[in-house]
Amino acid sequence: MNALTGGEATPNLLTMFADVDSSSTSTRAEMFRVRGLTKTYGTSEAEVHALAGVDLDLYEGELVVLLGPSGSGKTTLLNNLGGLDVPTSGELRYRDMDLTSADEDFLTRYRRESVGFIFQFYNLIPSLTALENVALITEIARDPMPAEEALELVNLGERLDHFPAQLSGGEQQRVAIARAIAKRPEVLLCDEPTGALDVRTGIVVLDAIERVNRELGTLTVIITHNAIMADMADRVIHFSDGRVHHERRNSKRAPVSALNW
Amino acid sequence: MISHLDRKLWRDLRRMTGQVLAVALVMGCGLAMMIMARSLIHSLETTRREYYEGNRFAEVFAHLKRAPDSIALRVAEIPGVATVQPAISVQVTLDLPEMDEPASGQVRSLPDFAEPQLNRLFLRAGEWLKPGSRRELLVGEAFAEANELKIGDRLALLLNGRREQFRVAGIVLSPEFIFESRPGAALPDNRTYGIFWMPYQELASAYDLDGAFNYLSLTLSPGASARPVIAALDDLLEPYGGRGAYGRADHPSHIRVSDEIRVLHTLAIGFPVVFLSVAAFMTNAVLSRLLNLQREQIAILKAFGFTNRQIAFHYLKFAFVMVAIGTVLGWLGGIFLGHRIVDMYHLFFRFPELNFRLDRSALALALLVCAGAAAVGVFGAVRRAARLPPAEAMRPEPPANYRPALVEKTGVAHLLSHTFRIAVRNVERKPMQALFTVAGLALATGILIVPNAFRDGVSEVMDFQWDVLERQDVDIGLTEPSSISVRHRFEQLPGVVSVEPFRYAFARLRFGNRSRQIAIQGMPADGALGRVVDFQTKEIPLPPHGLIVSAKLAEVLGARVGDELIVEVLEGKRPVRTVPLVALAQDFAGVAAYMDLQALNRLLGEGDIISGAGVTLDGARRSEFYRSLKEVPRVSWLAIKDSLRANFRKTTAASIGLIQTIYLVFATVVAFGVVYNNARISLAERARELATLRVVGFSRREVGGVLVTELVILALIAVPIGLLLGTGFATAILKQVNTETVRLPLVLTLGNYSFAVLVVTIASALSALFVLRKLNQLNLVGALKAPE
Repeated sequence: MNALTGGEATPNLLTMFADVDSSSTSTRAEMFRVRGLTKTYGTSEAEVHALAGVDLDLYEGELVVLLGPSGSGKTTLLNNLGGLDVPTSGELRYRDMDLTSADEDFLTRYRRESVGFIFQFYNLIPSLTALENVALITEIARDPMPAEEALELVNLGERLDHFPAQLSGGEQQRVAIARAIAKRPEVLLCDEPTGALDVRTGIVVLDAIERVNRELGTLTVIITHNAIMADMADRVIHFSDGRVHHERRNSKRAPVSALNW
Repeated sequence: MISHLDRKLWRDLRRMTGQVLAVALVMGCGLAMMIMARSLIHSLETTRREYYEGNRFAEVFAHLKRAPDSIALRVAEIPGVATVQPAISVQVTLDLPEMDEPASGQVRSLPDFAEPQLNRLFLRAGEWLKPGSRRELLVGEAFAEANELKIGDRLALLLNGRREQFRVAGIVLSPEFIFESRPGAALPDNRTYGIFWMPYQELASAYDLDGAFNYLSLTLSPGASARPVIAALDDLLEPYGGRGAYGRADHPSHIRVSDEIRVLHTLAIGFPVVFLSVAAFMTNAVLSRLLNLQREQIAILKAFGFTNRQIAFHYLKFAFVMVAIGTVLGWLGGIFLGHRIVDMYHLFFRFPELNFRLDRSALALALLVCAGAAAVGVFGAVRRAARLPPAEAMRPEPPANYRPALVEKTGVAHLLSHTFRIAVRNVERKPMQALFTVAGLALATGILIVPNAFRDGVSEVMDFQWDVLERQDVDIGLTEPSSISVRHRFEQLPGVVSVEPFRYAFARLRFGNRSRQIAIQGMPADGALGRVVDFQTKEIPLPPHGLIVSAKLAEVLGARVGDELIVEVLEGKRPVRTVPLVALAQDFAGVAAYMDLQALNRLLGEGDIISGAGVTLDGARRSEFYRSLKEVPRVSWLAIKDSLRANFRKTTAASIGLIQTIYLVFATVVAFGVVYNNARISLAERARELATLRVVGFSRREVGGVLVTELVILALIAVPIGLLLGTGFATAILKQVNTETVRLPLVLTLGNYSFAVLVVTIASALSALFVLRKLNQLNLVGALKAPE
């Protein structure tokens, strides 16, 4: 499948882009440095190359949207960035830390201190109330904000004593966002955060994510296959066949409310 | 050909091997217990019945002083009597060449030229006595084994004061001595007490009983009842020193086998019921989990046109595979344990052949009970799944409903950590699962209490019997009651430190229409060796008038302190007197009636007479004492405390050890199985939640902590209940042992409780660790991908 020429040409091209990017975002520090990253699943007979050589840099405070069809490797990349999975080969650095060779304990600490996750299906702890779901994290984080404040940030000042089963999908997702940001993470990784929501609720959720990015300056990566969301990003990265296909930079971020659904 | 649905079944089973096995094992334990107990009851009952029939075991028995043979013919004329067998029965002491301590025993006569009509012997080894032979005897197997006697060995017996050598011709068993022990003794001592048989003529000439008998047994004609026969027999034998006839129900050996059968009945029902309820619930839990995981599959099957019945049947088959494995395990376990227990019975019960006989109906019943339990367990879960409309089933299940836990409403909520809250809320959300996990753990804890309570009870009885009540080293019984001056003979024996005489008098105690035949024990009021104590273990001084009886005897007679008992003496001048009951004594082996020695002698009207004496010895001169005692004539029996104690300890240690092992294995299996099942289900149902915790930065240890906290909460609830339950089990089972022959006190020590807690804790902890290893394999990415 991999055309030799394409496989080699792309990184060069991207490195070039990256250089251009860094020159234009010189004020922002590099947070992730990804080079030649591959991830292979399964045995030799049924090998799946989920990542087939990704080169990418991510910077502080950016809001990045990752676009691409199903199976293009977006989620695998996100899981590798978030320390949920380790790559098969290549370079993956977070600031000055090497995530490729990190052990389980290191990755746990990394997730605990630096990363916030938001999933399509919320993944709240069903036996804890909204407030407790957030407080659960503030209990173990190094420098958290009060749980109430995190919930306030996503416009959930009420219904704090409700259990997930008593909340709507949009409310559950906002609790999930509050849970992710309460630790003041440096990175917020969102995997199809609106995938299970209707449009109106989706807007509320995206608005909350955008606000967090803006107000806290958290590097935010959003996976979606909804191209409309691209306009809210600083940078849009298109993924296909386990690689970065191309990327573009928006000169101006469109407010969520202005997105054309 | 195997259908594709069945192929799915096998693959599901393979995936859930651990849980299927856990359920099957718990089921197997309950069934093994039931099959074992029922088969043992079957083995004992049929073996005993066949033995009794084959060897013509008598139905009524009577000891007397001496009666001419013609009286036996008159006994045969009593209505309801079928066959009468007169015989001679005497107490002897014997001298075993390789033993310092003298042994004692009972000798029974056999007809000189014919087989006995009743109580026929079974020849285990050697040969029968040759007609008209002299200086030969047959030995009971228990004594022969304990003393390693072989055919041709020689034994010295003191027959009526004359020492004679006898050759062991054969080793035999008797239906009268399935439990071979000294009459009235609760504890067997096969090393120093034996049963022997000799030709009638040999005994008759030694004891001057030619043409007479002093022991009689008889069978009843079909349909006749024992009571009137016993009454008529007592009347007839009274002039001949009859000591009161009794039926099988009061026959010492018969009672012991019946006692065992009664205990087995308790085991056959009580424990299996609890085990199987826990197993039924585990089946339900495993099935519910499987059905939850397969919601969508069920929907698809239904969408394709499978009927509810087919689907229900499919999952029922899953449950019945567990039942099948459990039943086979139960069968194998029950048969294996049954064999081991039968081997242990050989220590106590002497049958020509006691084999483990499988109660086949128990096998069928086991399958039925187990299938029933599983069906109940499966029913609810399968019905829920089958009812679900396909479209609804294909949608992911909504998040589970939770509420704040009860404990949080007590105002301590702010003290609880979040992981603790997760744990308690989960426990409360699935009360049935929690309940049965608690039940399983409590059961495991409880059954561990039983064998140790037994052990502690036995050890308490031994200490009590031999340290508190009987402080002499040796009891010496005389062939005939003799003048108190014999005491000085004993005092002069080497090594004797003190001597305390006693008097035994056979009597019937009567209160209202209830009565018991018993030997009244007369002891010196100021005695230091034999003592009578009350329930506070305080010594009761023997009053100059009146009787003190075992509390159990008072209960049997329905008498209370202050009541007047009628004492009918069954020997000597046979006086009948009214004697007040002045106090109740605490004792555990047999039932007894105590009187001041002088008061008893006054009642008997015989002057200063004793039946024997207890002595204490200078430890260093023991063997010297034993050697010289062998030369003393008119000694009919001996009870040596150390020997009794050692022997008893050996036999009980073996049997209690076996029972302890069995219960230990059962408890471990249940604790392990229940915790494994619970943790696996939690892990499976909550994979997503646990993965989320890992993703947001909780370490493996912290996530494991959530599951462990839940188990610890359940264990903390279960263990105290288990200790209570165990106390109840022990009380119920010891109650079954609370008979006139032996009673066990309920002794529950901290050690016993701690051991139970320790075993359950270790088994649960290992099981939890086993499951927690799976947590490491939790696929964080996979678990989060899509809802189950």
